[in-house]
Amino acid sequence: MRYNRPGLDIASHALLIVGCALFFLPVWIAFSASTHEMGDLYSNVAPVWIGEAGLDNYRQLLADPVSSLGADVMTLLFNSMLMALGIAIGKIIISVLAAYAIVFFEFRFRKLCFWLIFITLMLPVEVRILPTFKVVADLNMLDSYAGLILPLIASATATFLLRQFYLTIPAELVEAARIDGAGPWRFLKDILLPLSKTNIAALFVIMFIYGWNQYLWPLLITTDADYLTIVVSLKRMLTTGDGLVPWQDVTATTLLAMGPPVLVILFMQRYFIKGLVDSEK
Amino acid sequence: MATLALKQLKKQYPNGYKALHGIDLAFGEGELIVIVGPSGCGKSTLLRTLAGLEDISEGDLEINGKRVNELEPAERDIAMVFQNYALYPHMSVFDNMAYGLKNRRTPKDEIQQRVSEAAELLGLTELLDRRPKQLSGGQRQRVAMGRAIVRKPQVFLFDEPLSNLDAKLRVQMRLEIRRLQKRLKVTSVYVTHDQTEAMTLADRLVVMNGGHVEQFGTPMALYDQPASQFVAGFIGSPAMNFLSATQAQTGLALPCGATIALQGEGLATGAELTLGIRPEHLQVLGAADALPAGAAELEARIELVEPLGADTLAYCRLQGQSEPLVVRLDGEHAVAEEQTLRLAILPARAHLFGADGKRLATREQATAAIE
Amino acid sequence: MAHFNRHPITPWILLAPQLLIVAVFFFWPAYQAIEQAFYVEDAFGLSREFTGLSNFVSVLSEPEYLTTLWTTTYFSFAVAFGAMALALGLAVLADRVLRGAHAYKTLLIWPYAVAPAVAGVLWLFLFDPTLGILPELLSAIGIDWNHKLNGDQAMLLVVLASIWKQMSYNFVFFLAGLQAIPKSLLEAAAMDRAGPWRRFWTITFPLLSPTSFFLLVMNVVYAFFETFGTIDATTQGGPAGSTRTLVYKVYEDGFVGQDLGSSAAQSVLLMVIVGVLTLIQFKYVEKKVQY
Repeated sequence: MRYNRPGLDIASHALLIVGCALFFLPVWIAFSASTHEMGDLYSNVAPVWIGEAGLDNYRQLLADPVSSLGADVMTLLFNSMLMALGIAIGKIIISVLAAYAIVFFEFRFRKLCFWLIFITLMLPVEVRILPTFKVVADLNMLDSYAGLILPLIASATATFLLRQFYLTIPAELVEAARIDGAGPWRFLKDILLPLSKTNIAALFVIMFIYGWNQYLWPLLITTDADYLTIVVSLKRMLTTGDGLVPWQDVTATTLLAMGPPVLVILFMQRYFIKGLVDSEK
Repeated sequence: MATLALKQLKKQYPNGYKALHGIDLAFGEGELIVIVGPSGCGKSTLLRTLAGLEDISEGDLEINGKRVNELEPAERDIAMVFQNYALYPHMSVFDNMAYGLKNRRTPKDEIQQRVSEAAELLGLTELLDRRPKQLSGGQRQRVAMGRAIVRKPQVFLFDEPLSNLDAKLRVQMRLEIRRLQKRLKVTSVYVTHDQTEAMTLADRLVVMNGGHVEQFGTPMALYDQPASQFVAGFIGSPAMNFLSATQAQTGLALPCGATIALQGEGLATGAELTLGIRPEHLQVLGAADALPAGAAELEARIELVEPLGADTLAYCRLQGQSEPLVVRLDGEHAVAEEQTLRLAILPARAHLFGADGKRLATREQATAAIE
Repeated sequence: MAHFNRHPITPWILLAPQLLIVAVFFFWPAYQAIEQAFYVEDAFGLSREFTGLSNFVSVLSEPEYLTTLWTTTYFSFAVAFGAMALALGLAVLADRVLRGAHAYKTLLIWPYAVAPAVAGVLWLFLFDPTLGILPELLSAIGIDWNHKLNGDQAMLLVVLASIWKQMSYNFVFFLAGLQAIPKSLLEAAAMDRAGPWRRFWTITFPLLSPTSFFLLVMNVVYAFFETFGTIDATTQGGPAGSTRTLVYKVYEDGFVGQDLGSSAAQSVLLMVIVGVLTLIQFKYVEKKVQY
C-alpha cells in the first residue's frame, strides 16, 4: 500500500544516490589530487580526475622519510595500528574481567567498585587532559607506546557494554555450570567468552576506530617522530610556514589515515552497527 | 541413592527477608518427593539450598547422614534440571551432557559411553550433534534430563521442569519423568506449583506456604486429611469449598440455615469455624430422596455449568455465601443453569478448620440429637 | 542474579587491572584538576597559593571565555541540527526504498570511521583558497572565500566537516528507529487516508522523538569534545578565536599559555557541563524504559 508509488520510489533512489555521491566527493577530490605532481597540482584548481603520477606519491611516502615529519608514513601507520590495537584489545581484556567480577560475583564493596568504574563514563579524556599529561610525564611514559595507550583505556565504555550483555545471561546458566563443576575461571573460559563472541567483535570495531582516530592525546605526548601517529602527522605536514602546502602528499596521507578504520567498518559492518546501537542502551 | 535430611533449615537473605523459617524434613532412599506451593512460598529457595546454589543461614542439610552445608554444588553429588533448561547455547547436545563429566576428569571413553546410554534412554541419539537452538521444547527438556542422568548423581533436583511446555507435552513428560525415576531409583526432589503434577508424581508430597512446611505426606493422605485449610484448598481440583460455620449446641449451624451433626472438638458454643467440603463429595439428592442421617441439606441455584465430558462442574449460588459453591457431577447428570440443586453434606466427608486455619478434630453428634 | 558467592579473592583479581588503570589515569588526574583549580601557581611552578574560587571568578569574568562559551554552543547546535536533519532525511529515504537499502547503508556509514582531524583536512582541501574546488565555484557567484581571514567562513568550514563525519552515526540510529516502527501503524494511517507527508509528521516523527533526543545529546557531546581534531587541523581556533571551542581553549591556555590554574578551572567547568549532559541522558534513558 505504501510502496505503490513508483514516482516517489525513483525520487527516493535519486536523492539517496546524490547523497551518497556528495558524501564521497571530498574523498574523491582528495584522491585525484594525490595522484598529481605538486607542480601539476598548483598550476590550476584541484583536479577532479586521476593524474599522471598515479600511485607514485603513495609509494614514496610509504618508503622514504617525509622531511616535515622525520619519519616515513609506513612507520606512522605502524604506530597508529599499534595504538589502535593496544587500546581495543587492552580495553576488551580489562573490561571482560571487570564486568565479569561486577555481574557474577558477590563481594564486599561491589557497589562501590561499580561506581568507581562507571563514573569514568562522565569525563572524556579531553576534560582532564592537562593533569593526565602530568601523571604520564611523572611516570616517564611520554613518547612511549604505553603512554599512548594506557590513559585512553581508562574509561568504562566497554565495561559498561559488557555488563549490559552479561546481565542478559540467564542466572540458571551459571547455576548449571556450578553444578557441572565449573568454577569461576572455567565458567569464564568455557561459557561466558564463547557466548560473548559477537559482543566482543562489536566492541573491537568501535574501540579500534576510537583508538585509531585519537588526536589530542597523541599530539600532546609524542614529540619523538618514532611514536608519531598518522592522524596527528597531518597537521605537521600542513604547517609549512610561508611555503606551499604539499597537498599531493597531504591528501595521500589523509587517505592512508582513513583506510584502515574504514575497511574495518565495511568488513565488520554487522558488528559495527551492533556495537553502536548497543552503546545506546 | 541417598537419604536427605533437613534439620531446622533457615534461610535469610542479606536484605533481611526470611525465606525459610526452620524446615524439618527427611526423605528416604529412592523416593520422589514433590514440593508444591504457591509462588513465593519458598519452595524454589528450598531446592536451591539443597543444590548449594544458596547458602544455608541456619540449620543442617545432610545427604546420607553427612552434613553438606559448606559444600559447593559440584561436590554434593547432585544434578539439577532447570525450568528454562539452562542448556549451554553454544555447545552441541553431546557437549551439553558431557560438560559436567569433562570437568570431573572422567575418561573420554567413559564419557562417550555414558552420554550414549543416556541419549538412548531419552531418545536423543539422533540429536547429539545439534545445538539447543535447533531443538523443540520437549527435546530440550530431555537434554536437560540427560545432562542430569549422565552424572549418575545421588540426588536429582527438578525446578519446575515442565512449566515451559504446552499442556499435552507436559502430561507426556510427566509420565516419562515418573517412569525414569522408578527405573533409575535415584532420590529426587521435584518443585512445582501445579498441584496435579504434584499429586501424580509424588511418592510423598511437601506443601509449603510462607516459608513453612504446611504438611508432608503421601498424596492421598494430604487429600484425605489436609492438616490445614491452606492444604485443603491447594490439593484437589477444583478446590475444596469452604463454608463459614458456627458451633451450635447440637452441631454446626451454616449461614444458609442448615445444620450438620458435627462439631469441632473442644470448641465453645458460638465459636466461628470453617467447614470444607470437596466438590466431588457433595451428594445430590432427588426431590423425593430422604436426607441421609446427620447431613446438612443445602438448596443451591446453578449459575454456571462447565461440562468436562466425564464430569460436569456446576457453580452454584448459596444463600449467605459470597463464594460460589462448586459441585462435581457425573457427566451423565443433566443439569441446566438456573436450576436448583438439592445437596447434602455428609458429616464423614466434611473437614473442619479453626480460626487459625488448622484442622480441627471432629466429633460426630448422635443423629438422634437432631431428630 | 546468580553469583559466585564463595570466592572472596577472585573478583578482586578480575577487577585489579581496571581499577589500577582507572585510579592512575582517571582519578588521580581528575583529583589534580580539581585541586589545581583552587590554586594559583607562579610562573616557574615553584610555589603555589590557595586562592579559593578566584580562578573560577577570573575565568568566568574573562570576556574571551564567555565568547568561547557562546561560540561552542552555537557551533554545537549547528552541528547537531545539521547532522541530524541530513541523517533523518536520508534514513527516511533508505527506509522507504525496499531494494538497495542495505547498499545505501554501507555507502553512508563509512564516514563514521574517519577521524575528526582527517575529516577536517578533507574539507580544508575542498575549501583551500588557492586550490580548492568550492572557492572556485563560490567565486562564480560572487562570494570571495578565505576562511583564514573570515571568521564566519572558518566556522562554516568546521561545521561542515563535523556534520560530514557525524551524519553516519545519526543515520544508523534513525534508520534503526524507523525500522522499529510497526508497519501496521503506517498502514492504519494510510487507510485513514493520510498521505506520505502527513504520515511522516503525524506518526513517524513523534515515534522517533526518543531517538532524536538521545542523538541531540550525543551530537552536542561530540561537538563539544571530539571536534578538537577537526578544529586543530583546520583553523586552530582562528581567525581571531572565531572557531575556538571550550576544549580548544583549555588546550591553548594550559599547554600553549601555561596558565595552569585557569586551565584547570576551565576543565572543572567542562566537567560540570558534561555532568549535566550525562544527567539529562540518564533521565532520557529512564523515560525510554517507561515508553
